[in-house]
Amino acid sequence: MSILSSMLKKKQKKRQNDNYRQKQDPQKPEDLLILSDYKDNMARIKGEFGNSTDIVFREFKFGRKKGICVNVDGLTNQELISEFFMESLSVSDRDDNLQDSFQLLADKVVNLGNIQLITDWNQVYDALLSGNTLFFLDGYNHAINVETKGWEQRSITEPSTQLAIRGPKDAFTETLRTNTALIRRRIKSPNLWLESMKIGKVSQTDIGIMYLKGIANEKIVLEVKERLKGIDIDSIQGSGYVEQLIEDQAWTTFPTTYHSERPDVVTSHILEGRIALIVDGTPFVVTAPAIFIQFFQAPDDYYSRFDISTGIRILRILSFFIAVIGPAVYIAATTFHQEMIPTTMAIAIAAQRENVPFPAFVEALVMEILFEILREAGLRLPRAVGQAVSIVGALVIGQAAVQAGFVSPVMVIVVSITAIANFSTPSFAMAIAARLIRFILMGLATVLGFYGIMLGLMFMAIHLCSLRSFGIPYMMPLAPFNPRNQQDVFVRFPVWAMKNRPTFISKGNMVRTGENQKPGPPKQEENNQTSNGES
Amino acid sequence: MMKKIFVIAILFLLLMPMLSACWNQKELTDLAFVMALGVDKGEHKKFDVTFQIVIPGNVSSGQNGEGQGLPIAVYTSSGDTLTEAARKATKKISRRLYYAHTNLIAVSEDIAKDGILDLMDALDRDPEFRTTTELVVTRNTPAEVLVSALANLDKLPVNKITKEIKSTEMMLGENMSINIDEFLAGLVSNGKEPILNGFIVKGDVEKASESEDLQHTKAVAILAADGLAVFKKGRLTGWIDHEKARGVIWILDKVKSTSVNVDWNGRKDAITMALLRSKTKVSVEIKNGKPIIHIVIKDEGWISEANTVVDLMSPSEIEKIDRLVEEEIKQQILASVKAAQKMKSDIFGFGERIHRKDPKLWKKLKRNWHDHFADLEVNVKVDSYIRREGIRTKPFWSDLNK
Repeated sequence: MSILSSMLKKKQKKRQNDNYRQKQDPQKPEDLLILSDYKDNMARIKGEFGNSTDIVFREFKFGRKKGICVNVDGLTNQELISEFFMESLSVSDRDDNLQDSFQLLADKVVNLGNIQLITDWNQVYDALLSGNTLFFLDGYNHAINVETKGWEQRSITEPSTQLAIRGPKDAFTETLRTNTALIRRRIKSPNLWLESMKIGKVSQTDIGIMYLKGIANEKIVLEVKERLKGIDIDSIQGSGYVEQLIEDQAWTTFPTTYHSERPDVVTSHILEGRIALIVDGTPFVVTAPAIFIQFFQAPDDYYSRFDISTGIRILRILSFFIAVIGPAVYIAATTFHQEMIPTTMAIAIAAQRENVPFPAFVEALVMEILFEILREAGLRLPRAVGQAVSIVGALVIGQAAVQAGFVSPVMVIVVSITAIANFSTPSFAMAIAARLIRFILMGLATVLGFYGIMLGLMFMAIHLCSLRSFGIPYMMPLAPFNPRNQQDVFVRFPVWAMKNRPTFISKGNMVRTGENQKPGPPKQEENNQTSNGES
Repeated sequence: MMKKIFVIAILFLLLMPMLSACWNQKELTDLAFVMALGVDKGEHKKFDVTFQIVIPGNVSSGQNGEGQGLPIAVYTSSGDTLTEAARKATKKISRRLYYAHTNLIAVSEDIAKDGILDLMDALDRDPEFRTTTELVVTRNTPAEVLVSALANLDKLPVNKITKEIKSTEMMLGENMSINIDEFLAGLVSNGKEPILNGFIVKGDVEKASESEDLQHTKAVAILAADGLAVFKKGRLTGWIDHEKARGVIWILDKVKSTSVNVDWNGRKDAITMALLRSKTKVSVEIKNGKPIIHIVIKDEGWISEANTVVDLMSPSEIEKIDRLVEEEIKQQILASVKAAQKMKSDIFGFGERIHRKDPKLWKKLKRNWHDHFADLEVNVKVDSYIRREGIRTKPFWSDLNK
């Protein structure tokens, strides 16, 4: 670990000599002002953008003045602007010197959208690149900035990674504004605050921080903002970047922030006092702080009744353990603790392994790696080839390998059970952690048997307890044990019994449900009345 | 900080080999599962030990269809101790002998009479041996024959033997499962003597171990549970058979089900009661400084056969049958008590009960307990109750004469 961190430090030093950064250094203040000659302005923009062909300039005549209209093709709603030119500028050809023509232009342009006067060059670039249109008029050393954002965007579709049977079917998209709207539509409260930020020296990615004022812990909100401000990177390509840059603990396989593409999940997290980070360009919204048990809570848990969802949640936790220790238990039981296997089963396994040329560990390792390869290939393959490969893979692993005697059928069963168990973890981030730990435990099981597995699990438990997510202990309602917050851990309490928000996250406005929310048959008096009426 | 973690990690690694008690990685395919162990008196050495080893490929159907060939292989070796014999056996066996799945230890009658004590510590001490392993005595046949015999219903012959004992315990109550632990507990106890199940090979003993035997629907050689071996001071002293054996099991409160025949209207064994449940209570009463044993049995059953004219609808008739069943059971139990008293071996653990009841008295009786046991007064009280009479009330016999 120490070698790694020292390498990182060296890299950091190198990066300070980055010449890109020096270009970004502030220039002299007089250079930053917009010039009054519109042609100079045009030339400057062209120069800065290197004559990029997607920068569109339109020269126009307004009264007696000439001007240009600049925007970036693809980021702006061209239709709107064309219409504007057709109707407002070309048609009305009034000639009055008396009035300020710049003001007149502004009055016209206001039809397009939100306008703003700018004088600073930096603002010019910012505005252009976020899809705004700029109007320069000859003789004026400022410009009009009109919001004309309108680019091709993916419409809201069904979630592809987090499916729910009874939940809403919308998912976040790549557009920040759409995503904030999806959340706002679900929480109609002025207390839902949205703060914006731009991160990435080059990419200038928009990031929205959403939380419920009065429910979210102020300290955590400050901490999140603090960490976001501290990010110094050229570009943010997705919420995964942000996640990795603001984590508490970098040396862990367990995710300490949660991400979801479901607005209902994010909304419920915000309502519990968590903070949502919406990154422009990713359909995955990050929420923090995250706790361990949260990764086993699926949206369906809350849409179906509590007894069913409790059973299913316990099943999920069980299958997480199967995914973690499955092959390790097989190795330990067949190479160390044969006495633990029931006699007939031991003989059956022995019979199957009779012709297998490898020791159990090698057999398990090969099969597990083979499966991981298949899984990874399945993810990346073009859809047309995918099916063919998965059939071949299934045949190779399932049948041919067994028939050829390279692996035993038990091993195939163990591998497939662990694989399927792994898929039942609702959070992909947690499922990946289990995959990694599985291999470590397999190694330990080979060396020390069940003792090794126990050692590994103990180490895992200690590690989990040492983790923090924005200051909140990762294993929170369990370790340290908090009896008041057990409403949503292993047993999902009925909705009417989940009276308070988790106290370890939110501070203030704790009560969720009122008194006497438990539903029941109609009260006695009403009953009598209805029966009387009927008779 | 980094250094500290590093040091701790190294410490952990160094501690690992010391903490790992079971540093014995062994692949399944390198093990020879010993399913049963037979001990006979040796010619030159003290013991001749027979190992029944399972051939996994022939028992379990692998990928190449049903397993062919014999399910077991049998090896014999001899030694003055069990360990010596086991170690010497490795000369003949290619795999490491593995005892964790041993389900049966058969001891020949000769060994049971003299030398079984020399076996017990090895079985008790070895971490691989389970103390729940069944222990039986082969009657009139060498243990080797039992261990090398094949069975037709169960693929593994050893399963046949252990299951046989358990099914008789469940359905008949003439044998009961006795493992190493229980036998040892009986051996060391002052007021109790151990018993063991007897096993015989009936029919053509020579053919028992041949696969040809499995080709007959009616096997030429049959392994059968037979009687209870009674021990005294660690030596086999005699056998208790049939109904008397059932009486022993009954006193030990291990009878789960059995059948009791009673006479009716002069017809012998006309009515059969099948037991549903039974509970035995043994208590001690001290009278004039002499212990008296009271055995109280409460049982319930149903009429499984009525081969005579009888009105099973009448409560008074049922009551009568109850009384007859009680008498029958009582006689069986008294007979087995007499048999044990004749052998002067307290297999019922009466001594332990007296010890618990009156420790001072026990101190006096302890030395000559075998003699005291022989003329101990034992009272038996049976309380039978017929719960139901099957799906027919009146037997067809009642209509037959009309």
